[in-house]
Amino acid sequence: MNKQRWFYLIIIGLPFLLGTLTSVIAQAFFQPVPLVVFKIDIGMVAYVFGIFISLLLAAYAYGMARKEKQLQQSVAEAQRNAEDGRRRFLRRLDHEIKNPLTALRTALVNVRECKTEDERERAIENAGRAVERLIRLLADLRKLSDLGVRPLERLPVDVPELLGEMVEAAKSLPAYQEREVNLLISKVPSPFPPVTGDRDLLSLAVYNLVENALKFTSGDEAVEVRALEDGKAIVIEVADSGPGIPSDEMSKIFEELYRGANARGIEGSGLGLALVQRVVELHGGHVEVRSTQADPRGTVFTLRLPVKK
Amino acid sequence: MSRQNPTILLADDDPNIVDSLAPFLERAGFHVLIVSDGQSALDKAQSHHPDLIILDVLMPRMDGRETLRRLRRVNVWTPTILLTQVGEASERALALEEGADDYLNKPFDPHELLARIRAVLRRARPGERSLSAAWLLTAGDLSLDRRARRASLSGQTLELTPKALAVLEYLMTHPDEAVTRERLLDAVWGWEYPAGTRTVDTRMAELRRALDDDPSEPKYIETIPGEGYRFVADVHGEG
Repeated sequence: MNKQRWFYLIIIGLPFLLGTLTSVIAQAFFQPVPLVVFKIDIGMVAYVFGIFISLLLAAYAYGMARKEKQLQQSVAEAQRNAEDGRRRFLRRLDHEIKNPLTALRTALVNVRECKTEDERERAIENAGRAVERLIRLLADLRKLSDLGVRPLERLPVDVPELLGEMVEAAKSLPAYQEREVNLLISKVPSPFPPVTGDRDLLSLAVYNLVENALKFTSGDEAVEVRALEDGKAIVIEVADSGPGIPSDEMSKIFEELYRGANARGIEGSGLGLALVQRVVELHGGHVEVRSTQADPRGTVFTLRLPVKK
Repeated sequence: MSRQNPTILLADDDPNIVDSLAPFLERAGFHVLIVSDGQSALDKAQSHHPDLIILDVLMPRMDGRETLRRLRRVNVWTPTILLTQVGEASERALALEEGADDYLNKPFDPHELLARIRAVLRRARPGERSLSAAWLLTAGDLSLDRRARRASLSGQTLELTPKALAVLEYLMTHPDEAVTRERLLDAVWGWEYPAGTRTVDTRMAELRRALDDDPSEPKYIETIPGEGYRFVADVHGEG
C-alpha cells in the first residue's frame, strides 16, 4: 500500500520536477529573455506544462484512490450481507431440523417405554412422520442447490397445458380434492405463445404457487390461476382470497427457509417460494407478490416470463 | 453359494447405516458381507464372489465409483447397486456410465433397496456383462447409442429431449421390469416432487410419439396401470 503511494507521488511529481529542471537549465545556459518583449521562453513553457500535467495526474490519482476505497467498502458490505444471510439461513435450518428431531426422539422413547400395542403403533407412526418431514426438507434443499448447476432445458413449453396439469396435480392431493381452482387462459386474438424453458422446473414453480394458494385458504375461499400475454412477457398469476401476507413480511417471503406468522403450524419446508423465485429468474423472468389483509383480502403471485421473439 | 441364499457385499463406511441395513437384508433372506472402504470391497469382491455388490459412493481409501471401475476393468461383472449421496444429474449419469446396474439416492427407503436388489438379481446372468455396461443398446428397430446420446429408429435419428432420452436409457437398461414413476423420477430427475408423476407421464408421451408406439398395442413401452411402465421389447447390448 505504502509502496503504491510512493509510486504515485513520484509519477505525479515527475513532470513538475522535469519542468522546473528544464526551466532552470534553459535560463542558465541559453540567452536570457528580456522582460518587456513578451516572449515565452521554452523554459517557462516546460515549467507551466510540467505543473499542468502534474495537476492532471494528481486529480486522476485522487479519483482512482477514491474509487478503490468505495469498491472496498461495497465489497465489505456485500460480504457482511452474505455472512448475515448465511447466519440467518443456518439459524432457520437449525429451527427446521430441531422440530422433527425432537418429535423423532420422543417417538423413539415412546417405542421403548410404551405399554400397549396401540401406543407403539402411534409412536412408530409419529417417528415415520418426523422422518418424512426431514426427507422433504432435504429434498427441497437439494433442489435449491441443484438449480444453480443443473443444465437448463431450453425448449418450447405449452403454458396452458402445463397450468392445467399442475392445477390437476394439486387438486389430486387428498386434502384438496373438494377444492375449486379457476383456470383462466386468454386465447383471443391469438393462441397462447409457447415460452422457452425447462418444463419440469416451470411446472415445479407453478405447482408450488398453486399448492401454497390451496394451503393458505380454506374450503370456501377461492383460488384462481390465470395466464395472459401482454406483448412483452407471459404473465402467470396465482391468486387466492386467503388471509393475506402481513406487509412487514412481504420482503422476506422469498428468502430461503423464511416462515411467516401465517405459516406457523402449516406444513412446508419454507423453501417453496425460494424455489419459485430461483426457477423464474433462471428463465430470465421475475416474480412479484401483492397482498392485502383488509377486505377484500387475498394474495396474488405474478410470474413474468420473457416471450421468445 | 446356493440360489436360495444369495450373498450381498455391502460396502459403506457409516456404521449406523450398515448396522441397520445388514439385519434388514438378512431378514429378507440374504447372506451379507460387510466392508467399510473401497479397497476392502475390491478385495472381497474378488475373493468371495458375492452375487451382488452394494457400493456407497463416498468411502475412504477408494470411493465407490473407482472401486466399480476397477472391478469392471478386471472383468468382474458382479451386479452392482451404487448408493449415491449427491443428487446431481451428472453424478447419476456417471453411475450408469461406470456400469452400475442400478443406483439409489440416499436417503432411500430400505424396501426400495430390496426391490432394486431383487430386480437386479433377477436380470443378472452370472459372469456376463449386464446391459448397464453396454454402450449400444438395440431392441428391434430401435437403437440407443449411449455414448453419443442418440436414439434412432430404423436408422432414423429420433428427436428427443435429453430427459426423454434418459428415460429411454433407464427403461432399456431395465427391460421387462415394472418401473414405477417414482423410480424414474429418482433415477432420471434425481428429484421427487408431488406433481412429479405427471412430469414422467409427459416425457413418456413424448417418447411414445417419437417411437410411434401405440400405448394400447405397445411394441416398446407398456403402461402398467397403477404401477408404472415396462420396456417389453428384447434388448441386446454391445460394446
